[in-house]
This record gives sequence, structure tokens and C-alpha cells, in this order.
Amino acid sequence: MEARFEKYISYPIGLIIALSIFSAILLAMGFNPILSLEALIKGSFGTVFRTSEIFVKVAPLLLTALAFLIAFKARFLNFGAEGQLYIGALCAYLAASQMGGLPSILSVPLVVLASFAGGVAWLAIPLVLKVKLEINEIFPTIVLNFIAILLVNWLVTGPIMDPNAFIPQTRAIPRETWLPIMIPKTRLHVGLIFAFFLAFLIYLILQKTVLGYDIRAVGLGPRAAKHGGIDFSRNIIIVGILSGGLAGLAGMIEVLGVNHLMIMGFSPGFGYQGIAIAALGRFSPIGVLPASIFWSILLIGGRSMERATPPVPIHMIHVLQAVLVLSILIVQKFLTVRRQK
Amino acid sequence: MIETLTLILSSSAILAVPILFSALGETYDQCAGVINLGLEGIMSLSAFVALMVCFSTGSYLMGTLAAISVGGLVALIHGFACVTIGINQIISGLLLFTLANGIADFLNTYLSGYKVFFAPLKAINIPGLSQIPVLGPILFQQNIFVYLAFLFAIVLGFVLYKTTWGLKIRGVGENPEACDAAGINVNRIRYLCLILGGVMAGFGGAFLSLGYLGLYGSGIASGRGWIAIIVVILSGWSPYRAILGSLIFGLGYSLAANLIGIGIGVPSYILQMLPYITALIVIIFMFKRTKGPSALTVPYRRK
Repeated sequence: MEARFEKYISYPIGLIIALSIFSAILLAMGFNPILSLEALIKGSFGTVFRTSEIFVKVAPLLLTALAFLIAFKARFLNFGAEGQLYIGALCAYLAASQMGGLPSILSVPLVVLASFAGGVAWLAIPLVLKVKLEINEIFPTIVLNFIAILLVNWLVTGPIMDPNAFIPQTRAIPRETWLPIMIPKTRLHVGLIFAFFLAFLIYLILQKTVLGYDIRAVGLGPRAAKHGGIDFSRNIIIVGILSGGLAGLAGMIEVLGVNHLMIMGFSPGFGYQGIAIAALGRFSPIGVLPASIFWSILLIGGRSMERATPPVPIHMIHVLQAVLVLSILIVQKFLTVRRQK
Repeated sequence: MIETLTLILSSSAILAVPILFSALGETYDQCAGVINLGLEGIMSLSAFVALMVCFSTGSYLMGTLAAISVGGLVALIHGFACVTIGINQIISGLLLFTLANGIADFLNTYLSGYKVFFAPLKAINIPGLSQIPVLGPILFQQNIFVYLAFLFAIVLGFVLYKTTWGLKIRGVGENPEACDAAGINVNRIRYLCLILGGVMAGFGGAFLSLGYLGLYGSGIASGRGWIAIIVVILSGWSPYRAILGSLIFGLGYSLAANLIGIGIGVPSYILQMLPYITALIVIIFMFKRTKGPSALTVPYRRK
């Protein structure tokens, strides 16, 4: 039976623990935690623009969280969303830069497909190793993250660098491929709606289809799946394609929606953050919606903390986020185990 | 030519050191049944701590002691989360990586007024042996960390295979129920191994800043924490074989660094991929049918 009480109470308790630790560290460093938290909240909700920035970040975070959780349901641990995101973005950029003159209705879907394919391609090796040789996927996916980032670094400092730019970046992609802005004078683009739609789609797949049932059965292990007459390899390949593809789409969203070009180090670890968000959202496609919004509030608020006097480095927010998820998971587990005793 | 080769090989031995330290600790973790994916973060944090403490006390020893203490402390968090409470070790490890990296970068930005640089620890030339051509510079003109790492590998291998302690550790990772029935405190052994794992990653981090670079930069571990875990699996959870495993990756890092230095016309970002491509090849060809300790990632709870 699902323990509803433990499930929800762990969030406020975890938050209190995390905020206490966060404040203690700030105090020890000579900051005023009250002022810092005030800057954090004001920074994220102070103006329409700032609030819109929260949702600009939600789109890629939500997609990488979905990428992790769909595979996690089948106990396939895709730690490579960061690399797949970079390659997805690269493919989106390469496709979009060829699409000048084509109407958006044609070019954007093609670019979306390209990025999806790029993400899947970057997961292909770990996926084949898993299915054919039963090699654990964690390490190949992580190693490929490093390779993807270096590959993109090389390309944007050389072969595809804009010769007129002073920093390592490419030329802008054609206007027709930019995602439309939803609220004037903000950067909030329709990619957010697309991400929400995909979250709903993943929810439907997992909860309402036979495929979703099979995926969860595979999550119980190869032997259990075989007993239930479910093809283990086939389902791992399906979640792999969905997972790699979703991470690729996260890269596309950043290129078509926000940056409109490729730039070195454009992802502040969205891929890794997606894993923590998936855990925060209890690996549920609905749960990761509030989780990614909350995560993003902290990131945007953190930027204001960095501008406050005295400035609190943004890394403190990463510490807060990690402590928060750890505390919540610990409290949850602690309460559940106690109840079972 | 011979000079270049000697340089590449001698820096392979050096660059194997941080990986070896961390891999040795992780071998103990995993033999006892706990995987710690936070090594990368622990290495970065302890590299920073080592540098700052060494800078303010002027003592390499104090810097190293501080680094290994911090490594052990961070590993304790993992112990509490995974051993005592029993949350998912993979997720906890990843969060530990984020946490330790975050603290390191936070402190580095916050204290950036210091901008610390200094000469890495000097090499100790072993009299006589260090004069042997080619082999001398590779094996006997290194700093104390290098000798220490290889010494640890031998000692930890001996303890794991030839002592009661080692037997208990391996037992706890293979069959915790039986060990518990035999009166062994399963979780205590797991905690001790985790602390050792953190301490060893701390040595790895301290070596990076004190023994090799003489400075700290964000992401200083540059994948070595992850690669250390790959070495553990590659060497079949044996501290002895971890020496060879680390040397393979040391060579990867060394080739990358030295070829960039020499300038062979290949872009540096491509050369930097060498250790990771090595890792990928190792995984593809060597990881088939590797089997870790039976109780790896399974928290122990009395029925």
C-alpha cells in the first residue's frame, strides 16, 4: 500500500532540514541567511521577467527529468542526459542552420526530429552494450557525457565557430526556426508547452498503455519480465529511445528557444540536475512538474543572491538542492521503514 | 624521442596516482556492498581543502590531513543515507557528487581573493635507483604521494585477501545475512569501508592540488572520480590489479596532456577525449560478464 502520509510529510520536513543546513553554512561564512533567502524569493518572483525566467529553465529541466525517469521505470539508469542534451542541441543547430527560407511549419518539426535522433544516437552504444552484453549502463553513459562536451567544445571553437564572434559560439540559426515567444518582452517560448505536453504523454504511456505496464515489469528485472512473457531487450530499447530522445529534445529547446546558436558550455548540468529532479518528483511524470518548477525557482533566485551584497556564490544553491533532495529521500525512507516495523 | 617517451610514461605513473587512490577506496566500499558514486565530488572538494589548508598553514602534511578528513566526513553522509537509512545508493551517490562539487566551487568563489598558486610537492629521488636511464625517472623520481599510492595498493590488497578483516569485508558484501548470524556487525563494517573510501578519495584530491597542479580549478577531478570506479570493475575488485587499471588511464591522461604540450596538429579538445575514449573501449571489451559482490547496492536490514 502506498504510504500517502509519509510521502507528503517528508517534503516540508526535508525542506526545513535543508534550509537549516543552508542557513548554518551561510552563517558560518559570515552571510546573513535571512537576507539571502529574501534575495532568493524576491529574485524569482520580483518581476514578470524574473518569473518568466523560471519557466524558461523549467523546459529543459523537465525534459531531462523525464528522460531519466522513463528509463528508471525499467531500471535502466541513463546517467548520460547531459551528453545526449549536447548532441541533441548540436543536431538541432546543424539541422536548423540548413533550413533558412523554409517555413517554420516544416523546418521546426524537422529540427525536432534531428535533435531527438541525436539524443538517441548518443545513447546507442550504452543501449547496445546493455542489451547484447548485459553491461551496466551507468559508466558508458557518464563517459559519453565527457566526450560529447569536448566534441561540442571543439566544434564551436573551430569548424562551426562564427568567424566574427569573440567568444566560442556559432552563427545564429535562421529566424524561421526560432520558437515563438509567448509573453512579449520575456524569453518564455512555446517549448515550455511542448515539455508539459511530453510530460503528459509519458504519464499516459506509463499509466494507461500496455507498453507502460511492460516497462514497469521490466523494472522488476530480466527474470521477472521473462516469467511474465515480456521481452526484456525490446522494452529496454524502447525506453532507451524515449530517454535519449527526450534528453536530445532538451538540447533542442535551448537552441531553438533560448540561445538561437551553439555556445560552449551552454548547459549548467541540466542532465545531472534532471536526475535529482526525477528523484524529487518521486519518479512520476506528474511529480516532476512541481519538482522542476521548484528547482528552477531556486536557480533563478540564486542568481539574485549572487547579485546581492555581499554576493552569495550560485554554487550555494547547488548545495542547497542536493541537501534538499537527500533530506527528503532520507526522511521518506526513515518514516516508511518505521511504519513497517 | 626517448625523452618524450620517458616523459609520457613518467607522467602516466603520476597521473595514475589520483585514480589509484580513489579506486582502492572504492574497491573496499564495493567489496563491503556499498557503491559510492560521489568520488568525483569528494576528490574536487578535498583538492580544494588541501590547497587552502596547505596555503594557510604552510604544511603539506596538514593540507593532506585536512583533505582526507573532509573526504571521510563526506563519505559519512553517504553512509548515513545508504547504510543506516537505506536510500538508493546510486541516487545518493549522485547527490553526494553534486553536494561536494557545490561546496568546493562555493568556497573557491567565496575565497577567490586568495588565488592560490604554489609549487607542487617536490619529487624524492631514490638514491641510486633514480639514476637508471628511462626507468629511473619513471619509477624513482616521484613525489611521496606516488610512492604512497603504490604502497597502499599492496597493503590494502594484503589486508583484503590475507587477513580476517578482509574476509569479513568480503563476506559482508557477499552474504550479509550469514555474516550477521556469525556475529559480525554488517553496518559497522560498511561504515568503516565507506570512511576508508572517502579518505582514499581525499588522498586522490590532495594529490591533484598539492602533488600535481599546485592550484585549484572548478572541475579539477575532470572525470577521475568516475574513472576510478571504472578501474574498480576493470580490475575485478582487486587492489593489486587496480594498479594496472590505473596505469592504463594514467597513460590516457598523460598522452592527452603531453601531446597537447608537444602540439601534433590535433585539436586539444579532441586529445582531451583520450582518457574517456580509453574508458569506453575498456568498458566495451572488458566489462562483459564482470560480476561484482552479490550484495552490492543492497542495504542490509535484519529480518
